Amino acid sequence: MKMTPVAVVVGSLLILGAIVFMVVYVPYATYDETPSEIFRERTAEEAAGRKLYIANGCVYCHSQSIRTIDWGMGAERIAQAGDYVQDQPILLGSQRTGVDLSQEGGEHPDDWHMAHFVNPRYTRPLSIMPAFAYLGDDLETLTRYVQGLGFKQADRRMARQRFWKKEAVAAYEKGVEANAEWLNVTIVPEGWRDIPNPYPTTEAGLARGRKIYQDFCIGCHGPVGDGMGPAQPWIYPPPYNFTILKNRKISGGILYYHLMNGITGTAMPYFKRELESQKIWEVGNFVAVYFINQSDANTAPRGIDSAWEP
Amino acid sequence: MTTNATSAPPTYMTAKGFCLTAGFWMTVATFMGLLGATELIAPDLTENIGWIVFGRVRPIHVNLVLFGFVTPGLLAAAFYYLPRILRTELFSEMLGVVTVVLWNLTLVGVVVTLAAGYTQGREYAEMIWPVDMGVVLIFSLVLVNFLMTVIRRKEPMLYVSVWYACAGIVLTAATFSLGNVIWRPDTGALVGIPDAILLWFYGHNVFGLLLTPLSAGVAYYVIPRACKAPLYSHTLSLLGFWSLLVVYTHIGTHHLLQVPVPTWLKVISIVDSVAMVIPVMAFLINIWYTAKGKLGEIHNDIGAKFVFTGTIMYFFVSIQGSIMALPQVQRITHFNNWVVAHAHVGVLGFAGMISLGGMYYILPRITNKPLFSRFLADFQYWMILIGVVGFTVVLTIAGLIQGNAWYNGETIYRVLPEIHMYYITRASIGLLIFSSAVLGLYNIIRTLYFNPGEKLS
Repeated sequence: MKMTPVAVVVGSLLILGAIVFMVVYVPYATYDETPSEIFRERTAEEAAGRKLYIANGCVYCHSQSIRTIDWGMGAERIAQAGDYVQDQPILLGSQRTGVDLSQEGGEHPDDWHMAHFVNPRYTRPLSIMPAFAYLGDDLETLTRYVQGLGFKQADRRMARQRFWKKEAVAAYEKGVEANAEWLNVTIVPEGWRDIPNPYPTTEAGLARGRKIYQDFCIGCHGPVGDGMGPAQPWIYPPPYNFTILKNRKISGGILYYHLMNGITGTAMPYFKRELESQKIWEVGNFVAVYFINQSDANTAPRGIDSAWEP
Repeated sequence: MTTNATSAPPTYMTAKGFCLTAGFWMTVATFMGLLGATELIAPDLTENIGWIVFGRVRPIHVNLVLFGFVTPGLLAAAFYYLPRILRTELFSEMLGVVTVVLWNLTLVGVVVTLAAGYTQGREYAEMIWPVDMGVVLIFSLVLVNFLMTVIRRKEPMLYVSVWYACAGIVLTAATFSLGNVIWRPDTGALVGIPDAILLWFYGHNVFGLLLTPLSAGVAYYVIPRACKAPLYSHTLSLLGFWSLLVVYTHIGTHHLLQVPVPTWLKVISIVDSVAMVIPVMAFLINIWYTAKGKLGEIHNDIGAKFVFTGTIMYFFVSIQGSIMALPQVQRITHFNNWVVAHAHVGVLGFAGMISLGGMYYILPRITNKPLFSRFLADFQYWMILIGVVGFTVVLTIAGLIQGNAWYNGETIYRVLPEIHMYYITRASIGLLIFSSAVLGLYNIIRTLYFNPGEKLS
């Protein structure tokens, strides 16, 4: 084959044209623009927040694309083409240095996000996300975008957050006694209240519990468990002070339930996706021993000793 | 345009300008990479300095590496070898110098706009419309210079390097305009899933239609010259060239295998990703057989040494890429540092190595003096070789930890401390690469302007 300038330039352009037609134009022309069942239009404020999301490069660490193999944040709904029909540009992301955000809306209340944006380590001590306090008032706009991720499902979760926020604030404002009653009796199912921590208190177990506490809890509840962690100024109702709980019949089960399920409406997230059973029991035991100074670990009712117990 | 200067020796102003451009922006680009890597270890080190927040540093790093370091370095060599292969002079050194100046202005525009948060938010297509226009303009100017030089050639045959240089520039001007949706200046994007398909068509072709052809052009020039041997096979050149254009352009959708895009498109991208072995091996067999038994000659020329190493990296990155396009493999490798490792082998190990090799090969020839320091160039070679291998090992391990942990149901947050040590190692290697860029820039400047070496004959 004789290669002439025309063969090189026109030939390559013709090949490129044919391929663009096939792998870009045909998918574009046959694209089904039907919105998915969770879809809704973004509000003006959410759209403005999305611009901030783009301008600050959030897309480089956060995907918005849940796959069939995913666990973790957002994994309750696998992404569909109809979720993206208003996205220009689409923000699927190519890295998951942080969590997927496609269903982030309503996972946390607004105040959690504010503390998290001001410095991510306030709410998530191991996070490597940059602090975004420099955005100032724009943080509110960015929060609106994040809280809308997931569209109609986000709206349902947000309604739930708002409902329980009201309840939680009301309980907190009634004072220490009423709040303790609400938190540890009213909203905890009866079965959980009666369960003592089944793991015996051991030095090794407490050391593991301390590690979990430092990695997950210390930002809000603080190093001495008094709820004065660095996130505290942004959060209302404020993080709980464990040191007032002595002689209030706080069972291992109550702690486990709150750790597992979170307290919707407050900044307390659920940890059942992140911590396996033993880790939840042991951080509960750490809190009970060090901050409440009263642990029901391994007390009755209990079954036979587990084989590994010392 | 000087057309009557047939007797004067060429000034190589354009090639020199692109050498300086590549050398300078390599230091900035690698510093940005080092900065980003450091922020992943110590996120509060640059707390609340908005213009260097990680999400802005990363696109600056990527765009500067692609358009500031690797491409100008490859073009420097092309502006040298095109007139020589074609037995003519460059159409216009003046136009070339203007291109270099505009190129640098565009890169300043890239840094300033991205740092200020003006971005279109699409990976590899972040630049806003005015900067896009700058890129289209500079590619067009290069194209004019190349094609006019080809038209004025005195050599009837077109050598394979000429095909690659011309096609690379033509096709990139076209795919860049398309991929950046330049007919929509406000967003630079399509809507929904087609935007993702177009974006990865383009993103993949930054590598396939810009870095690869320009690198192949340099390798096809430098290796036979350094070996003083004829090219192994004209047929393989043809096969490699045309199959590259046909196959590479198909496969961008392999970035979207886990996304709701049409299944037939995924099938095409997977099958043709495996078929990439054809253009890759056609090129490599051609180069390697040309160099067969002549590795001593390659060792003797630091430029050829860089280029030849680049071809080995190309082998590795391409075979790895074909394997990564398999859906079963992607379950583990997608979304994590495995891909970052792959990108570094490709852009730094292959195209970056060849870019530096092309510059070190031409610098003695355009200055008519030996390189200021062969030792520094060799030192830089080993820094980059160790750095690329190090990046690959460290980031692949981190990626496997992430991918397998996620597949097993562990959350992102739980895996962060597991890869912290690897991030620290990666940043250390980043410091090595940045240092090598500084050495390289010093060596280039000293070779061009303050070179104490004896004139070559």
